Amino acid sequence: MAPPPQRKLTVLLDALEPGQPSQQLLDRFLIGYPADGKWNAPAFKSITVHAPREAWKADGGLGRRAKDFGLNREDAPAKALQDASAVLVIPRGNGVTANEAATEAAIEASPENTPIFVHGSLANSLQDARRLTGLAVNRKSPLAAGMQLNTAGRLPAFEIPLDSQLKEALVVVQGSFGSGEYAGIHCLLPLIERRAGGESGIKRIYRYQGPILWGVARSGRWPRRLLAPALSRSHSPQGDPVADGRTQDLVGLGLVEKLASAPRGWVVEHRDGFRSTILILDGVVADFNFAIERKDGSVLSAQIHQPPKPNEENYSRLAAAIDRFFASGKAHWPLERSLLAAHLQSAFLNLSLLGGNVSDLSAMKPPIAYRTN
Amino acid sequence: MRDENTNENAVPPRWTRRQFLGTLGGAAVAAPGFSIAQPAARPNSPKTVAIIATKVAKYSHAQHFIDRFLEGYGWQGKHHRPSLRLASLYVDQFPENDLARERSKRHNVPIYPSIAEALTRGGSKLAVDGVIIIAEHGDYPKNEKGQKLYPRYRFFKETVKVFEDSGRAVPVFNDKHLSTDWRECVEMVEDSRRLNFAFLAGSSLPVTWRIPSIELPLETELEHSVGVCYGGVDSYDFHGYETAQCMSERRAGGEAGVKALQALKGDELWTRVERDKPLAELFFGALARSHSLKSPPGYSVWKPSIPWIRKCSPDATGFFIEHLDGFRTTQFLLNGYVRDFTYAGRKQNGEILSCQMQLPMPPSNTTLADFFNPLVNNIEQTILTGRATYPVERTLLTSGITIAGVDSLHAGQKELETPHLSVAYRPAETSTYWRA
Repeated sequence: MAPPPQRKLTVLLDALEPGQPSQQLLDRFLIGYPADGKWNAPAFKSITVHAPREAWKADGGLGRRAKDFGLNREDAPAKALQDASAVLVIPRGNGVTANEAATEAAIEASPENTPIFVHGSLANSLQDARRLTGLAVNRKSPLAAGMQLNTAGRLPAFEIPLDSQLKEALVVVQGSFGSGEYAGIHCLLPLIERRAGGESGIKRIYRYQGPILWGVARSGRWPRRLLAPALSRSHSPQGDPVADGRTQDLVGLGLVEKLASAPRGWVVEHRDGFRSTILILDGVVADFNFAIERKDGSVLSAQIHQPPKPNEENYSRLAAAIDRFFASGKAHWPLERSLLAAHLQSAFLNLSLLGGNVSDLSAMKPPIAYRTN
Repeated sequence: MRDENTNENAVPPRWTRRQFLGTLGGAAVAAPGFSIAQPAARPNSPKTVAIIATKVAKYSHAQHFIDRFLEGYGWQGKHHRPSLRLASLYVDQFPENDLARERSKRHNVPIYPSIAEALTRGGSKLAVDGVIIIAEHGDYPKNEKGQKLYPRYRFFKETVKVFEDSGRAVPVFNDKHLSTDWRECVEMVEDSRRLNFAFLAGSSLPVTWRIPSIELPLETELEHSVGVCYGGVDSYDFHGYETAQCMSERRAGGEAGVKALQALKGDELWTRVERDKPLAELFFGALARSHSLKSPPGYSVWKPSIPWIRKCSPDATGFFIEHLDGFRTTQFLLNGYVRDFTYAGRKQNGEILSCQMQLPMPPSNTTLADFFNPLVNNIEQTILTGRATYPVERTLLTSGITIAGVDSLHAGQKELETPHLSVAYRPAETSTYWRA
């Protein structure tokens, strides 16, 4: 028997944007979604949205949902939050840039012990992520953050057993500066945190932009040997396959370097000696793939499956995880993952802005070390 | 040597479990004067295959197969190069967007003017170790029932003629259903038995990714399978039947054959679904595995309901299939509402198993139709070992179901008795779907 609906969900939006997390998640909480072979009915008796006034005017999307599904409008944030049973914060866009003020308001103005989920980045810097975490602890409110790549399926489907003996990881994604890094971080962390001992914290970050990326691979600065297994999982190689449908050994034929436009590589050295590499390779493939080498030399690889638009059913998997968090107050992944994601995202940004190639974080205290469940 | 249960008119046989097992795994006994699948390849040289195709253009089936043999494909974390060499081609049609000639030239694979010459590579005897028949896409007429008359049977029979003339037969793969004529389907399977060559056929749906990645253990106490898909009659319906059948055949006792079939549309279809609550539960269970349920403009999701589905898919078709052991299969074609293939089955204890058979379909979602990877890999295994990786009886039955579905619609949605579809068989022990 389904549990009785919870009382009230408050959603803090910057805007209702078609196809973006704001619409994908709000619709799933309003209407329901498919998960685990059945239709999950909405878990809340009522949903109240607080959004800027222009968001209500924009294209009628919020007004239509008020009419069709009884979505409540509340222009005063404190009133929207005062009797919330759960709060969902969805910033503008795809979640790269956090709306820290909205999250802070959610923590401060909702009742104590209210679960709060933030879509995308928890904060735009580690400092702010830690500040928000501290506020939530003070209010005894469970806080979690994440995005749809965190709950995406894998082709092939497998989970990395906890405490696996892993040596290093390579993730290949695409995207403009910021978005690509955000995707890469959120593909990477759920995989590597399962290694023996858990996440140990970051020691150094190296940045390789442009053709130098290929040069440093020859000297072993990142594991080029993992590129072939990762790209072998792609269903969307670019170049000749786009032109005439042929399959192609992109790595074996030396096509990766030719196809990649403005490649970016981030190599992350962890404190336990583990090494992670995020490659942002526009023009090579059009899906996200990874390969991980175990300490015994064997390699795991998969595509991170992103179901097609417009449904993008990864949002249903994320909604199910959020629903479970709201019901239990326990997130499916540690908040430290979100702190580390914010840390890496801001470190990548700073390194790029400064034009540097390496960032030494070995002195940072405390390191973001954690274990997942 | 013909199956003793068939007559001059190729009346469909009832293959018993024992007969099927005899052909699948038993001692090979070929027609007199025949040797069995002796390789044409010299020792230490790769086995060779011929591809017999209707046309080769971007995203035509033949293009997918040819390129995977010529270029390789992603498989189990590597770029896999088949250990079979594509040695010859026969192509029936050369449209303006033909790619066969470009592939032939770039990879030095000759295109021969006839099937016989492709199989003998210009000589007098069979000179390849496997034959791959891809008769899908191309400009071919339709009959009065709307079936597109692809020349699969003709291609196959010309292949068999070379086998007979050469006194030797090699494994054959036939893409999709065997024929639009049941007697021809039966004759094709009988030929493979008579000449004792491995015969693999069918769709990529049974071998593609499953989401979630579920296996149905052999001898599962299954009572009803429901598939939901999209596409045309005598086209994607076949893929839907193969989707359901690769699960249903694993039920206790194996496949028993099909007793009757009825295709329904409109009020008759939806009244049947509404009145049959267990069916409706499976139908919505399968839909819950879809990644493409249509929503009204401006919404990301919409709860499936029969009124909404009817609105989105006014030409929806349901095929109600009764098996000889009381098992049921129901297949839905919901054009306009879904664009993927999903399955739900109920076990006798009431448990529902469901998944999506995932087709990463170009060009909208991918650039490659990589669901052909596992199909090509199964072809490789079949040709390399001389044993089909799954029974052709599956595709014989789904070919017959496809034809019966067309016939039921043509007869005004009439329920048809199908005594000729008493195709009993057991599946391979290991399910061959893509999971690694």
